[in-house]
Amino acid sequence: MSTLVVRRAPITRVLRSELRMVLRRPRTLIGLGLLALVPVLMGIGIAIATANGEEGGAEGLAALVIGNGMLLPIFALSIAMAMLLPLTGAMLAADALAGESAHGTLRGMLMAPVGRGRLLAVKAFGVASVTLIAVLLMALTGIISGVLLLGGDGMLTASGTSLPFLDALGRVLITALYVTLQVWALAAVALAVSAFTEHPLIVVVVSLGLVIVSGVLAAIPALDWLDPVLVTTSWDAVSEVVRDPIEWGPLVEGGLRALCYLVIGGSIAYSRMLTRDG
Amino acid sequence: MDRKRTALTVAAAGTAAGVAGLVLIASPAGADETPPVLPPVSAEALVQSVIQADVPALAGAVELRNDIGLPIPGLPQATGDNVARVYTDGNGRGRISLKQGSGERTFVQDGTTTWLWNSANRSVTKFTGGEDKDGKDTADKLSDPATAAREVVELIKKDSTVAVDGTARVADRPVYQLVLTPKPTERTLLREVRVSIDSQTRVPLRLEVLANGQSEPALRIGFTEFSTGAQDPALFTFTPPAGVKVTEGAAKDKGAKADQESLFKSANLKIVGEGWDTVATGQVPAALLSAQIPQSGERAAADVTSLLKRLGKEVNGPFGTGYVISTKVGTALVTTDGRVAVGAVPQQVLIDALGQK
Repeated sequence: MSTLVVRRAPITRVLRSELRMVLRRPRTLIGLGLLALVPVLMGIGIAIATANGEEGGAEGLAALVIGNGMLLPIFALSIAMAMLLPLTGAMLAADALAGESAHGTLRGMLMAPVGRGRLLAVKAFGVASVTLIAVLLMALTGIISGVLLLGGDGMLTASGTSLPFLDALGRVLITALYVTLQVWALAAVALAVSAFTEHPLIVVVVSLGLVIVSGVLAAIPALDWLDPVLVTTSWDAVSEVVRDPIEWGPLVEGGLRALCYLVIGGSIAYSRMLTRDG
Repeated sequence: MDRKRTALTVAAAGTAAGVAGLVLIASPAGADETPPVLPPVSAEALVQSVIQADVPALAGAVELRNDIGLPIPGLPQATGDNVARVYTDGNGRGRISLKQGSGERTFVQDGTTTWLWNSANRSVTKFTGGEDKDGKDTADKLSDPATAAREVVELIKKDSTVAVDGTARVADRPVYQLVLTPKPTERTLLREVRVSIDSQTRVPLRLEVLANGQSEPALRIGFTEFSTGAQDPALFTFTPPAGVKVTEGAAKDKGAKADQESLFKSANLKIVGEGWDTVATGQVPAALLSAQIPQSGERAAADVTSLLKRLGKEVNGPFGTGYVISTKVGTALVTTDGRVAVGAVPQQVLIDALGQK
């Protein structure tokens, strides 16, 4: 080539290579594998408990999941929503910017003639898609182990109606999408922290700290007025999925709340990326 | 540097937009709306139209806000925007779903049978017929709405002032507000009871109980969503899920009724006074006061007296020694020898009522 033409790499190729890089990290793979095991272990536990006739004492979703296999993925996701999935999102976001910075590889990317926004978008895409993969994987192993271990055709809802298999599958899908969106919201905040530091551990600590402090604040009745702005407020709304007819209000509200956190986290991360030097 | 300024602008704008969004989600829609303009109506005419109105096919979400200070037995403990959903087809079939955490209690009346589903223990209870009789009695009484309305309003007027106090919006529908205020001679803790009545269907949409010295209602139950129109008929049928035990509720109910009657007899229930300062007095078996209440979790079992000591304040008087439990809307007095007085009144009225025995 005689003239130097700066050509941007096609975005799909960049995204694919980012995804491949994230998925090649051993900790990502181990994390995904452990998450996929969660529904299986829960299914085994519930099956053993049912066989021993220990039905009493369960509350809420746990009381419904016995002999109700299609509910297992929803139950497992709502349990993982409390800590495991936020941890995964925070870990991915920590690796995306702070981790690269710790290895000294972020400096190279910042020096390259690539827009900072584009760089952040590619990193965010990596976090978002692996989160989605993790949740879908849990839903899949949940469905399989639920149907095999707990049995039941279709799904018994909290309202006492029975849904056919396809409708139940739809409910699992709604749960997966909702949970993913909520984890994205937390991961966006984690990504913003990640843009500020070069220590991945700080990102994980701050993100989980946010989850725990939100939980504590929500438990204090005198601070009820804070509830609407806490990131964890809508995480419980996932149980609306098992009602019949499904109640969309809390789910939509939770989705909007997650979007607000995505905007906050995304804009702070972008602003920091614009001025970051290495 | 220019880039630095851009960065700051982006961060500030994004954060502001996000926080504004979060706050917007929280604030109820139409909170500051001007009250709708409705044709004026007298209290009698309003009550009459409520009695006359047939409940149309509707779907709604119910909120419950309880600021009384003590949990009310029988009502869902959860306080919130959305504790229940109600559906009815306007012809006697209906469905109520009560939220209990992530579980649910569902009542379905499909025209002939009432089904009761409880997701916590996956039980179905079935009630067949039997309950129509009570409904018919009331229906006979209400067959002449004009007289009934006059009677109701006159009965209320004996002790209270009834007025239509302007209009408002409840569940995004224009409503008339019917306000019942106790007459100054009434010795009660309550300031007023406010009923919001839908201007179109004349269905009461909200009930608020306001106590003295409180700006916020002590108790509020009402619709947050309300829409009329034909409902999905599938809502009014219930098929017990496979593998779930169905118990017949009717036989058990009779036993419970007899139990209740004997309990009432031994309780020596009396009503003292009338109107707002009505006090119910009674007698609980002394054994109950020393009965052990099983406590959940690690806490040791407590007997009723020590529970009363913890909840209430010890008082002495001509009646002996007792414990007073006060809430914003009512007071209860339990004496050590098992006499009980309850009413929406201050403590002194309870003591007077016990003295009248």
